[in-house]
Amino acid sequence: MSATKKLWLFLAALLVASFSVLLWMGNEIYREKPPIPEAFLGPSGEVLYTRADIERGREVWQSIGGMQLGSIWGHGAYVAPDWSADWLHREAMALLDRHADREHGTTYAALDAESQAALRERVKREMRRNGYDPATGNVALDADRIAAARVVAAHYDGLFGRDPTFTTLRENYAMKEGTVSDDARRAALAAFIHWAAWAATTERPGQAITYTSNWPSEPLVGNEPTSGVFLWTVFSILFLIAGVGAMVWYHAAHLKADELAPPTADPLLGVVSTPSMKATAKYFWIVLALFLAQILLGATTAHYQVEGQTLYGIELAEVLPYSLTRTWHTQLGVLWIATAWLATGLFLAPAIGGAEPRFQRLGVDFLFACLLVIVVGSFAGQWFAVMQKMSLDANFWFGHQGWEYVDLGRFWQIFLFVGLMLWLVLMGRALWPALQRRDETRSIVALLFLSTIAIGLFYGAGLMWGRHTHISMIEYWRWWVVHLWVEGFFEVFATAIIAFLFVKLGLVRGRSATAAVLFATVIFLTGGVLGTAHHWYWAGTPTSIIAIGASFSALEVVPLALIGFEAWETYMRTKASPWMVRYRWPILFFVAVAFWNLVGAGLFGFLINPPLALYYMQGLNLTPLHGHTALFGVYGMLGIGLMLFCLRLMKPQASWDSPLLARGFWALNIGLAGMALLCLLPMGILQVAAAIEHGYWYARSAEFMQSPIIETLVWLRVPGDVVFSVGAVFIALFVARLWIRPRTTRPALDAAGEGAVRTSA
Amino acid sequence: MAEYYLTIKALHVGSVIASVALFALRGLLVLAGRPGIGNHAAARYLSYTIDTFLLTFALMLWTILKLDPVVHAWLGVKLLLLVVYIGLGSVALKRARTTTGRAAAWAAALAVVFAMYGIARAHHPLGWLRWWEIL
Repeated sequence: MSATKKLWLFLAALLVASFSVLLWMGNEIYREKPPIPEAFLGPSGEVLYTRADIERGREVWQSIGGMQLGSIWGHGAYVAPDWSADWLHREAMALLDRHADREHGTTYAALDAESQAALRERVKREMRRNGYDPATGNVALDADRIAAARVVAAHYDGLFGRDPTFTTLRENYAMKEGTVSDDARRAALAAFIHWAAWAATTERPGQAITYTSNWPSEPLVGNEPTSGVFLWTVFSILFLIAGVGAMVWYHAAHLKADELAPPTADPLLGVVSTPSMKATAKYFWIVLALFLAQILLGATTAHYQVEGQTLYGIELAEVLPYSLTRTWHTQLGVLWIATAWLATGLFLAPAIGGAEPRFQRLGVDFLFACLLVIVVGSFAGQWFAVMQKMSLDANFWFGHQGWEYVDLGRFWQIFLFVGLMLWLVLMGRALWPALQRRDETRSIVALLFLSTIAIGLFYGAGLMWGRHTHISMIEYWRWWVVHLWVEGFFEVFATAIIAFLFVKLGLVRGRSATAAVLFATVIFLTGGVLGTAHHWYWAGTPTSIIAIGASFSALEVVPLALIGFEAWETYMRTKASPWMVRYRWPILFFVAVAFWNLVGAGLFGFLINPPLALYYMQGLNLTPLHGHTALFGVYGMLGIGLMLFCLRLMKPQASWDSPLLARGFWALNIGLAGMALLCLLPMGILQVAAAIEHGYWYARSAEFMQSPIIETLVWLRVPGDVVFSVGAVFIALFVARLWIRPRTTRPALDAAGEGAVRTSA
Repeated sequence: MAEYYLTIKALHVGSVIASVALFALRGLLVLAGRPGIGNHAAARYLSYTIDTFLLTFALMLWTILKLDPVVHAWLGVKLLLLVVYIGLGSVALKRARTTTGRAAAWAAALAVVFAMYGIARAHHPLGWLRWWEIL
């Protein structure tokens, strides 16, 4: 059996085993999820909240942007508090004050340390006790808890409405006035947040840990890391070291460089753009437009951390509040990167297949129109939702679902899924001749095609939930989309397409590239698929999720430890032959992909990955540190690199303005590093210290986030962001100049030495 | 953040002095026939760095003061003159083809900075024309 066949079989077995465990975990989460009670009842049967209130409250929360304004169980945005931790702390304080007033005639804060400790112990027992009765589905609460919940509910009613007492707090949280303008909706919203806090502080039946594995850290109710969190953290570090050791061993023993003498002339100069390939140009234009719009919205979102409702005096929040700018910023990030990849696939597929399928150009144009409709339509729906101009029924279908990265209304989700299927069809029919050929690149083409199938199909996991599906199950499916894309099939796509391009450039043998890509795929997916579980640690899931997540997400970092080899090999290819200067900039963007894969995904990812780290760090600024450096650093850079590669082939005669590209490249990299190192990293570290010392709520509170040191760090984001934005403008200008008054070159098809590319004005 | 107003303002003014001084020096070097030094990468990147921080401090002040550039016309005029200054600076250091052109652009750029200083001190669009509010 050939080595390639063995790797294919191993990959198939790995996928079957991994997805079996993933589905089993879904079953476990379904069985062990925190119950949504029929009612929270007081001692005399008075109803605090019903199940209907909680479910309606969650829809209200979704309609205002959900995870895009504050967070629940640590998932979401970072300026407003984590509502579950905030409610939990406020309710505990209300209970403590109530007891202190009744027994000592004063507030909790005014008591001596011993009396405070006694009351804390009582409140801890009260709040951790599980009053859920599976027979009736009700939760019994004592009168004090009912009263405390009503105190917190009044706070939330004022905060989410227009009560002027809360104006400053709303500004600090970047909330618009009247975030939820309707009284009944605000009351329901409180019911949902109360339930989320209840699940975070109530012990599982027969266990001493809460439904959220004691998350968030809260000394008042005894929420601290469990023994499982400690143990699996240690094991995860061991697994990482073992994995890296094994990789180094394998690398030393098996992987030998199998370079080819490069051809004397650029083998891709003969590629002729077909009508459908030329039609992808507009995709790249829209990629840059969306990228620039994303940066603008990101700057606005960051500014809201300083002025919660205005932009340099303009009352922007009245028409474009924080939760919308953040929604569009995160969505555009995914959309422009995905569009760059879709376009790359559509551009390269006919070249790989060797023929232009019938009506391919029509398909490319139609898909482009669909993408535009989806962007404009879904954004419009989200605006109406957040401005509270839409019914909750319509919100689910056309408005804002509130689930970060899968925020689109269900109709737009389905539309996008259909669009991805159309892309698959267009890719498949163009690649089909290459898939049937029995040449040495067949396996890479197959892997490339399989990764495109997976990217398309796995978006379908976002359709697995309904309006009232339990939040733990939605988290389960949501990460199928987000994690399995970025840590799984995107990685496979990236590895396969870069290897394929090098094979086509004649720099690597097809057979050795195939083995390397298949091996990398096995390694990526070994950690990548089951590593999904690290997103579910605190989402109302059992301890087994922590065990599997910690073990396998540590393995995700293993291939990144050796990525320096890949980066160096990639870089050296720019010097393989004089004509390779034509591909210098796309390849340097691929080198940047490797660099940020190590730093953004590897270092900053593992920083927050082990259970004990994530227990304190989830939802702090170390999360966007990883998010920005990994999503843009790896996939954004790849998107730009692929775009440049396609443009090189699309316009082979064009003379490139290399100095402009160089400035763009370095500004993007330096700007991203500035954003990370001057702002997000130090701010996140200070937040972690605050969370460990005072509890998670404090690290997210207005009191801490408005402190002078944090405000200074927020402003230190400006230099990095400015440099980054300038870099994006340079890249956009570069692409524009390929069409506006372009300069041309005459590439020498047969040149073997210097002067491979001759420039003419 | 308002409690740090004076510190931020001092940093802003310090950045302005550093930025303009560097521009004046680079301009002199270019005019003296030493463009290799005046437009050396180190000089250019130092200039970009100073200007990025200058911009940051300016945005911080703008946020603290909550000034609308239309209502407070002095700020609006100052911002417009900033664009003119950047344009003239580019002409002086790079784009002008003759020494005379470079010298004229360099002098004009510094004159614009002088005008901006007057406007900032007077808090009035007429700037130095209301000299009694400045001196």
